[in-house]
Amino acid sequence: MSKSIKIALAGNPNSGKTTLFNALTGSEQYVGNWPGVTVEKKDGILSGHKDVVIQDLPGIYSLSPYSIEEKVSRRFLVEEGPDAILNIVDGTNIERNLYFSTQLAELGLPMVMAVNMMDVVKKNGDKIDFDKIAKALRCEVVGISALKNEGGMEAAEKVVEMAKKAVVEKGPGKLPDVPHVFSGSVEHAIAHIEESIQGKVPLRSIRWYAIKVFERDREIIKKLEIGVGEMKHIEEHIRDCEKELGDDAESIITSQRYDFIKRLMDKSLALNENRKDKATLSDKIDKFVTHRILALPIFILSLCVMWFLAVAENGPGTVLTDWANDGFLADGWHVPFTTHECRAEGKYKGMEFEDAQGVFAKQDASKSAWEEAYLEKINEGKSDDDKVEEMPEEIDEKVAATIVAKGVFVEDEETGEPLAKECDCENCAKKRESGEECEGCGCGCGEPDLWDVDFAAYKAAKEFEEPDPKQFGVWVPGLGALITDALDKAGVSDTVKSLVVDGAWGGVATVLGFVPVIFIVFIFLAFLEDCGYMARVAFIMDRLLRRFGLSGKSFIPMLIGKGCGVPAVMAARAIENERARRMTVILATFVPCGAKTVIIAMFAALFFREQWYVAALMDVIGIAIIILGGIALKKTRFFAGEASSFVLELPAYHMPTVSGVWHHTWNRLKGYVLKAGLIIFPACVVLWFVMHFDWSLNLLADEEIEKSILHDLGSWIAWMFEPLGFGSWQGAAASVSAEIAKEQATATLGLVAANMDGATTGSHIQALFGSVSDFPKLAALSFMVFNLFVPPCMVAIAVTFREMGSKKWGWFAVGFQLFVGYVLALSVYRIGVLVAGGGFGIWTALAFALDAFCLWAIFRPGKKVKS
Amino acid sequence: MTLAGMKEGDRARIVRVSGEEAVKRHLGALGFVAGTIVRVVGESYGNMILAVHESRIAVNDATARNVEVADV
Repeated sequence: MSKSIKIALAGNPNSGKTTLFNALTGSEQYVGNWPGVTVEKKDGILSGHKDVVIQDLPGIYSLSPYSIEEKVSRRFLVEEGPDAILNIVDGTNIERNLYFSTQLAELGLPMVMAVNMMDVVKKNGDKIDFDKIAKALRCEVVGISALKNEGGMEAAEKVVEMAKKAVVEKGPGKLPDVPHVFSGSVEHAIAHIEESIQGKVPLRSIRWYAIKVFERDREIIKKLEIGVGEMKHIEEHIRDCEKELGDDAESIITSQRYDFIKRLMDKSLALNENRKDKATLSDKIDKFVTHRILALPIFILSLCVMWFLAVAENGPGTVLTDWANDGFLADGWHVPFTTHECRAEGKYKGMEFEDAQGVFAKQDASKSAWEEAYLEKINEGKSDDDKVEEMPEEIDEKVAATIVAKGVFVEDEETGEPLAKECDCENCAKKRESGEECEGCGCGCGEPDLWDVDFAAYKAAKEFEEPDPKQFGVWVPGLGALITDALDKAGVSDTVKSLVVDGAWGGVATVLGFVPVIFIVFIFLAFLEDCGYMARVAFIMDRLLRRFGLSGKSFIPMLIGKGCGVPAVMAARAIENERARRMTVILATFVPCGAKTVIIAMFAALFFREQWYVAALMDVIGIAIIILGGIALKKTRFFAGEASSFVLELPAYHMPTVSGVWHHTWNRLKGYVLKAGLIIFPACVVLWFVMHFDWSLNLLADEEIEKSILHDLGSWIAWMFEPLGFGSWQGAAASVSAEIAKEQATATLGLVAANMDGATTGSHIQALFGSVSDFPKLAALSFMVFNLFVPPCMVAIAVTFREMGSKKWGWFAVGFQLFVGYVLALSVYRIGVLVAGGGFGIWTALAFALDAFCLWAIFRPGKKVKS
Repeated sequence: MTLAGMKEGDRARIVRVSGEEAVKRHLGALGFVAGTIVRVVGESYGNMILAVHESRIAVNDATARNVEVADV
């Protein structure tokens, strides 16, 4: 088997690298992380060349260790050594882009420079002489237009050819012909350094290493293990240069590089003079978008558009969510535009599917009401053992004739309320329109909708079969239905079925149910990023966020955090300042994410129907924590000091491509979807197990949950939640299982509450909070606040640890989040109880003490740090 | 004179860049080296959008104060 050829794709940010990469590799790409560091690295197979791997490096400006991305990219280029480099360069900004190219050339690898956006260059009337650049940088130069898919493949094929030739002819050991860009004395010093490091580095890259030593790059000097005497000698040469040129070594290299490029451009670049210094379209847009007064309203408006798309009623987000939850993940769905009235002979002929379902539901309700009444009748006076539990095949006609049952629809599965009647009388219709309660006109409006079912009606009802969706249009079965069918066919036991359907699939489906909302948020954000607006947002927000110790670039992770905390934490990488980056990682997950929205929705429905503002309040609390937490953290010695600089390139605005937005979106969404499979699935299996078995591994019936392992585990830690008002084993179990995935809190509550007496899950949960506290609403609020603002789910925690770079910082983040969540829940409950007249206790005192501590941490004078 | 004293539409030549080593290095890579011409494209509360070569670089006021410039 021949060894595959590795081609590194390198270039500045916004040079069209991703577009080219996608064009070259098509669908055959995979994303991995760089070994040891969490910078994303994308590999792909070059289309039509099975043996060629294109490795997409992060977009960087230089091979100096400035950001994590630069450090990692250079380590990859220097140490792992690709076979050749494909350097993509923005032709409309070639001077700046060549700064990076000159560094790449010094690595001594075969290199092809692809000058991108040639279509724009031509339109602008500029001319670039490729031959002169090729000669000066000792590489091949070709013009391409990645967006129009022109020339990219040719450039790739050229670099492959060069790589193959290099492997045959040269091998890595020969001193390569690399451009000499510096002035006499600097070149002299570099030659000396090359001499002293010979043998320690691969010969082909010796010049690159020598220049880095000249710049006093600590990482490289340490790696090369240059002796003290030797280094002293080298240092003399460097000092001589610095004295002669009146600048520090690193600045000398930087400016001489630019001097070299300037000379080269004078020969090879003919700019259209008419264009010089003219305001571009982007500049004109920026006049508005970064305007001192208009900037913020424009930004808020764009966020409103996003929220409309994602969560507004009847918006695309909710429509897709309904489709996912009720169709795709559940029973199934009709392909749009294929639905029609039922054409098959039978009871439903001529009906739409929804009407047929309504008819069936009513008949089904009649049937079960009558059956219940019948069973009650024939069981009258019998002892428990003799009671008939299922409908007998033979119905006693005499008894049956006497039975008239009350048919009823249950309106709300969660509360068990019967559906209210809505009559057609004019009086009621008017009242309904004006939003008044419609009662007392005698027509029965607003009263439970009950109807009589006699034996004849029952017999008729039995004739109705569930309408077959296939008769109403093109029907696609949902995943839930497929799984149930498969299990039925396999003939597995009820236990296994419960494990798969309720345990594993239930959890996975909950997580997947949020994909539509998160998907829309991510598409929108990818659009904002790709068109160039996001960079402006960072610029606008910088002035504000700086006060809380954050950077303008911290804002993007927080926006992403509204969708999912995992990509949010990862997006913090783009922040160069270490303090601001760490703080962003700690704070970004306080934004209630898509999964936490489920907790909010459930509690708002069960406990805070009259307090419509509770849901919005949670977002406000999240933002408040970020601001106040930022202020408090900035005053600690870990984060003290000015994050003084902000430097960000603002790419020219342009229309994003569909494939670009898609790749961006998918890369983020993928993490969320994988979470469902890799973490939620096994976690739900474990949870199902501890809920359905006792310590002797006996399978328990649903009502025996108090004997379960989960019950004991919850009881052991319930004391921790006692001060918060929900110190029961159920509350504890739900809070801990929420660490698997936040929405699990609601699922677990539903499961553990289900064994109590009463009708349905919703009232169970209300009863549960009523049983642990005299102030169930406050306990519920405390539970909700706790689960929203303690550390995020374990996937996000794992990513936090990775991004923090050390265990110590990982624990710091988790510790801080735990503290915030606990204090907040404690204060909400204890101070709430005090206000509600529940009295003052030791926990109230603790709540006040901790709140005082927090206020002190926020308002104390900051540490003075010399800059 | 530093960048911070400039107004929208002004052009100037960079004389030197000072400040934190890593930021200076980054600015250098972006073209902020002695001799380069910069133009102020936009300004808001001391934060600036600058044209350097053919790109637009946003900097905050603190960074702008670290870039010493002279009239063209």
